[in-house]
Amino acid sequence: MPLLTDPARTDVPDAPERARAWRSLEEWHAGGPGDEAVSREHPPGAMLPPEGVARRTFLQLAAASLAAAGFSGCFRQPPEKILPYSTPPEGLTPGVPLHFATGLEWNGRTVGLVVESHEGRPTKVEGNPLHPASLGAAGVFEQAALLGLYDPARAKTARLQGVEAAWSTVRDALRERARREDGGAGLRFLVEPTGSPLVQALYARIQQRFPSARIIPCGVGVADGRREGTRLAYGRVLDVVHDVGRAVVVAVDDDFLATTQPGNLRAARDFVSARKPEAMNRLWVAESTLTLTGGFADERLRMRPSQGVALMLALAAEVGKGTGGSTLASGLASLRVPTPALTDAQRAWVRGAARDLLAHRGQGRVTVGPGQPPLVHALAFAMDEALGNAPRLIEPVAFPEAMGQLPGELLDGRVDTLIITAWNPAWTEAVDSGFTRDLERVPFRLYHGLHEDETAALCPTFVPATHPFESWRDGRAPDGTASVLQPLIAPLFPGAVSEVELLSVFAGLDSQSPYDLLKSLWRERTASPPDFEARWEAWLADGVIPGTQSAPARAVLDEAAVLKAAREVPEPKAPEGLELALVLDSRLYDGRFAGNAWLQELPDPVTKLTWDNAALLSPATARALKLEKGDVARIEVQGKALEVPVLVLPGQPDDTVTLALGHGRERVGPVGQGVGVNAYTLRSSSLSWGGGITNITRTGRHHALALTQEHWSMEGRQLALQFTQASFLAKPQALESLQEKPERLYPPNALLKSDRHQWAMAIDLHRCTGCSACMVACQAENNVPVVGRDGVLRSREMHWLRIDRYFLGDPDDPGFITQPVACVHCEAAPCEYVCPVNATVHSDEGLNQMVYNRCIGTRYCSNNCPYKVRRFNYLEYQRREPLTQLRQNPDVTVRSRGVMEKCTYCVQRIERARTVARSAQRDVREGEVRTACQQACPTEAITFGDLRAPDSRVRREHEDPRHYKLLNSLGTQPRTVHLVRLKNPAPKGGA
Amino acid sequence: MSTADPQVPAPGDPLTEHPLLEGRHSDRAYSESLLAFVHRPPGRTWWALLALGLAGTALLVVAICATLFVGVGTWGNNIPVAWAFGITNFVWWIGIGHAGTLISAILLLFQEKWRGSINRFAEAMTLFAVTCAGLFPLLHLGRPWKFYWLVPYPSSLRAWPQFRSPLTWDIAAVGTYLTVSLLFWFVGLIPDLATARDTARTPRARFWYGLASLGWRGSARHWRQWRTGYLLLAGLATPLVVSVHTIVSFDFAVAQLPGWHTTIFPPYFVAGAVFSGFALVITLLIPARKALGIEHVVTPLHLDNMAKVLLATGWMVTYGYIQEHFFAWFSANPFELHATEAEFSGPYAPLFWMQVFCNVLVPQLFWFPRMRTNVAVLWVASLLINVGMWTERFLIVVASLSMDFLPSSWAAYRPTWVDWSLLGGTVAFFGTAFLLFLKFVPAVSVSEMKELQREVDASLQFRREEGTRPGGAP
Repeated sequence: MPLLTDPARTDVPDAPERARAWRSLEEWHAGGPGDEAVSREHPPGAMLPPEGVARRTFLQLAAASLAAAGFSGCFRQPPEKILPYSTPPEGLTPGVPLHFATGLEWNGRTVGLVVESHEGRPTKVEGNPLHPASLGAAGVFEQAALLGLYDPARAKTARLQGVEAAWSTVRDALRERARREDGGAGLRFLVEPTGSPLVQALYARIQQRFPSARIIPCGVGVADGRREGTRLAYGRVLDVVHDVGRAVVVAVDDDFLATTQPGNLRAARDFVSARKPEAMNRLWVAESTLTLTGGFADERLRMRPSQGVALMLALAAEVGKGTGGSTLASGLASLRVPTPALTDAQRAWVRGAARDLLAHRGQGRVTVGPGQPPLVHALAFAMDEALGNAPRLIEPVAFPEAMGQLPGELLDGRVDTLIITAWNPAWTEAVDSGFTRDLERVPFRLYHGLHEDETAALCPTFVPATHPFESWRDGRAPDGTASVLQPLIAPLFPGAVSEVELLSVFAGLDSQSPYDLLKSLWRERTASPPDFEARWEAWLADGVIPGTQSAPARAVLDEAAVLKAAREVPEPKAPEGLELALVLDSRLYDGRFAGNAWLQELPDPVTKLTWDNAALLSPATARALKLEKGDVARIEVQGKALEVPVLVLPGQPDDTVTLALGHGRERVGPVGQGVGVNAYTLRSSSLSWGGGITNITRTGRHHALALTQEHWSMEGRQLALQFTQASFLAKPQALESLQEKPERLYPPNALLKSDRHQWAMAIDLHRCTGCSACMVACQAENNVPVVGRDGVLRSREMHWLRIDRYFLGDPDDPGFITQPVACVHCEAAPCEYVCPVNATVHSDEGLNQMVYNRCIGTRYCSNNCPYKVRRFNYLEYQRREPLTQLRQNPDVTVRSRGVMEKCTYCVQRIERARTVARSAQRDVREGEVRTACQQACPTEAITFGDLRAPDSRVRREHEDPRHYKLLNSLGTQPRTVHLVRLKNPAPKGGA
Repeated sequence: MSTADPQVPAPGDPLTEHPLLEGRHSDRAYSESLLAFVHRPPGRTWWALLALGLAGTALLVVAICATLFVGVGTWGNNIPVAWAFGITNFVWWIGIGHAGTLISAILLLFQEKWRGSINRFAEAMTLFAVTCAGLFPLLHLGRPWKFYWLVPYPSSLRAWPQFRSPLTWDIAAVGTYLTVSLLFWFVGLIPDLATARDTARTPRARFWYGLASLGWRGSARHWRQWRTGYLLLAGLATPLVVSVHTIVSFDFAVAQLPGWHTTIFPPYFVAGAVFSGFALVITLLIPARKALGIEHVVTPLHLDNMAKVLLATGWMVTYGYIQEHFFAWFSANPFELHATEAEFSGPYAPLFWMQVFCNVLVPQLFWFPRMRTNVAVLWVASLLINVGMWTERFLIVVASLSMDFLPSSWAAYRPTWVDWSLLGGTVAFFGTAFLLFLKFVPAVSVSEMKELQREVDASLQFRREEGTRPGGAP
């Protein structure tokens, strides 16, 4: 249960002028929206002046320089009498964080999480090792969702027909609406797809009460070719569990490592675990933009999005020919190969992939991305069946079944009540669907959302939603495993209402609390066992309800339907013209995270772009169109036009323009307001994920893109290393010069011989996909501030851990590698001897430490750091705002302006483990200290531990033949080593 | 005193072959002509220039306040370019100061007679330049209010500076330099302050000059002790000419950054400092000698000599450039090689070639004697050299930092208005201080001029006597 209980839920409508001191959030918040408090509620970094000082500030400074008055102290206690806990809540030791299992759901799938809570404040999101979709890892969205909880721009008050009202008033109006005789003919619900058994039960109950009412899913994730593919191949909609831990994986436009795909954490772990350096699998990727999956591929192929059909027909024919025997195989073999639609390179890739699949029957997997049409998916299922690869199909987890676009009928004149719980449909629905126009015809339309966003602006009735960490719910993992999602904190804003509370009004169950509903549902589902209470507590503690994963679906491939569809598809032609591909943004998803400063500032793992989106062009296409990075181009598609800055991306297919959705939000609060361009304006019912571009022209304008890494080449230096498996095994001594200790004039470091722990890290590039989960983990754990777009443009981003990305070879079709780099804790640290005030020193456990109090900010240490991992607080980046301060990790010092900072190896976690170990009178054990980045990593690429312990994993990795020290020739002797990435390209002769 | 006409130069005397003094003047004439500007109410030009200087200084104050109140983030610095304009300006200003010390100390020890006309001038320049320079290391700190942690003092924190860091050496070097320069300047000024007291036209001026001249009466004992003290200070200041910029260069040479980590830096920085210092002396002297009416003591010979110094130090700097790049190539170190290539053809290449033009090509003009005494050429060249030397420091600091070991971190640097205001503001402050110096302090050492006149006279007398004596030396 949350520990911070809501003390007094009395609304204070006529609160006097807001006091400077505050005791509770309610009191602090009493001013309501629009007051001076709200205008100051800018998230960190969002309001940084463009050139450091704005004109107005300039004048103020001129005045201040005359006055030069001293500032008063910063910390003020409330004038009233305050009291400490006299009887602390059970289980709480002040200063010792508690961890609660919960989870987050989007697009109908839940990831199980463990949230760290300090004195009732959730401060850090971690993965739940017991949950099948997490296995202890947490992705960028899951972790950054925490910042959304404390977002000062969240909606706070409900409205009823345009008038501010308390929830109870709105509830009464809803009860009135639910008291109807028409069987719900005029009642519609627009919902997010959900796997939650509780919400599904509520839907069922509503349908039961109102048989004519309709519950319609919407959102961008709904238009999914894979679902329709299963309908084509198996006759009904099924869920495909991304099971990529195979010997051969052929991915066609499927970025299964992308954060935007449900189940990506598990997919990444499965795939990388099947990729042991000594026995590697092989990944074939054909893709329409450069993705992390493509960067990881052994054989990558560039293709236009429209070439998926041609490529799959060719692959299916090739596989069919090689398989033989079955009717399915001969059917596939008989498919005509659209040769002219494919290039030589593409045909060679198809032959190679088919040969590899055939050589590994039963151990392969063909997988297709959701943007491809159903036929391509169906062909993939057919190939997997023919090869005996058995796709993992389960009954759909998410309900209601997707229907693609909103049916026009939804908003015809008969609808009188529309309840929207889906995220911002006015923003995500295609422009030509007329959704917004129809919406305004509905007399009673209610929007339930976290923010007063674009849809809220169109709905006179609005109910602020609780954050997932504020409400009870349940959810299901992609494989069906159910979890109870506990709240971590009572709603920060008293007006907020959970989706369950809202729906239960229509279900006629609003006399019960969501907690009671949930508990009784699960009591019912488990047939009321006598030990239900004990089980319930175990479920809450574990975050997983055992034995609930879906059984494999009994489904038989409808060969004839697939073959028929394949034969009837219009003959693919050689592609011409330019194509547009719309993708979900790696950081903002469909736009729902646009107000999240962590995600806005998180560089896209491939382009390294922050605070913007851009049209991605290949170097050749950019040359042909005479466009360069930052040029604003005008893209015309089916009569619609959008002006968007261009980013040239090596590895992008020629004549393909990739553009991320989710940017350019109009009503999102100060963080995301007007950041990027809104690509939804190009979307239509006939163009949901892409199509032909009519025209693309230069506007002559320029837009500065805030990239965290401008330079993409390694300049021939040995930095992020990658070898083919064969060449590395043949010559493992290639790394010797990067492993040996350089000769030194001074006596060698005696630390390793001491009896103290010697902390060290190893980062395995072979396992690193570049997903950036570690970056967000580090940001959350270490109170790392954001600096805003201007800060990034000035190269002042504060991420302690960054992911370097390099392209290798030909800029048109390059190799790609990612390399996480944080402070490597050099044993002979160049930063230490140049600091004039001893502010960065070495600990006897091998940590290179920053003493913030002592730092005066000469920045000499950064200049002398060859890894440039030190970060400087050029301005006051930390906002002293109550809501922001609630989120901070109390174990980590918040740094002021003028101070250098950098990775500490999560020293606070080391110290916590030491405290625990000391009170148990033992040593810190192997695996007891896990750094935040290590913990978040879905592929376990980061290892941390004691280099002195004989059996530690980090020591093994430090002795691995693949390890090397970055910039070893400088003699810094880093404590963090990297392990080279190996590639397993298909043998040349065989391909 | 001889009745022979002292105006007629005798052949073969180094003092008289090229006139260090134009015309022959009595002590009173020297006192009057050289102190005229001090005693006369300033003209309109002076006031206009002062207003300009004060306006620029006000901008400096605003920029300083922006830096202090908002943070050093108002500058354009970033990661990797954590040092930029601030340190560039620091090195540049410190370098400019060097000419003063060199002229006052080393040339004094070498008994170069031509220094007397310009040393006061150059010493004042040193003081103001070092003041400007000292501003930057303080302002560039993230937390400038803690600057004193750089100083070894008995702190109750029981924390000492970290003596392996060149920045702690800097504090000592620059601090010593400022102290010795100030003492040297002031001690040299004492007899002239007394002269100013004696010739003062108002009681107030007499009082203040009298206070500043420390009771100087011009007795033989005063002169003897003054001379000893002055020479001792010169001896103290001499190593500083070498040490200060050597230590400043250690800020770079001690780091391991490609483009910084070079053993040539100490001599190369010292030569560059003298080079830029002399250039600025010329820049200021040419208009000042005209405006102050002191062309009879700052003669073309002085300009000629300074131009020769420019040529010599210009070649030393050029040698430094050659060495730096040769060894980058010779080391075959990919990082060093890249830093060099980036200078030749990278984003900062235009600045590099500008630097080569200003610092290598322009001084070659001074092979020609006519160019050395052509006031216009000399003035423009000295300006270009100062621009070139600033560019050189900018390139060392910024270009090296912006492209170091890991290409992922490479980033360009763009200065902000605060950066420009601090640079422009210190120039304005320097100018203001200089205008005040010209107004309130004798810009040329009156006593040394008188002494020089006597030496010249005596020398001429001696020559003539030699020439008239039968059987004397030719």
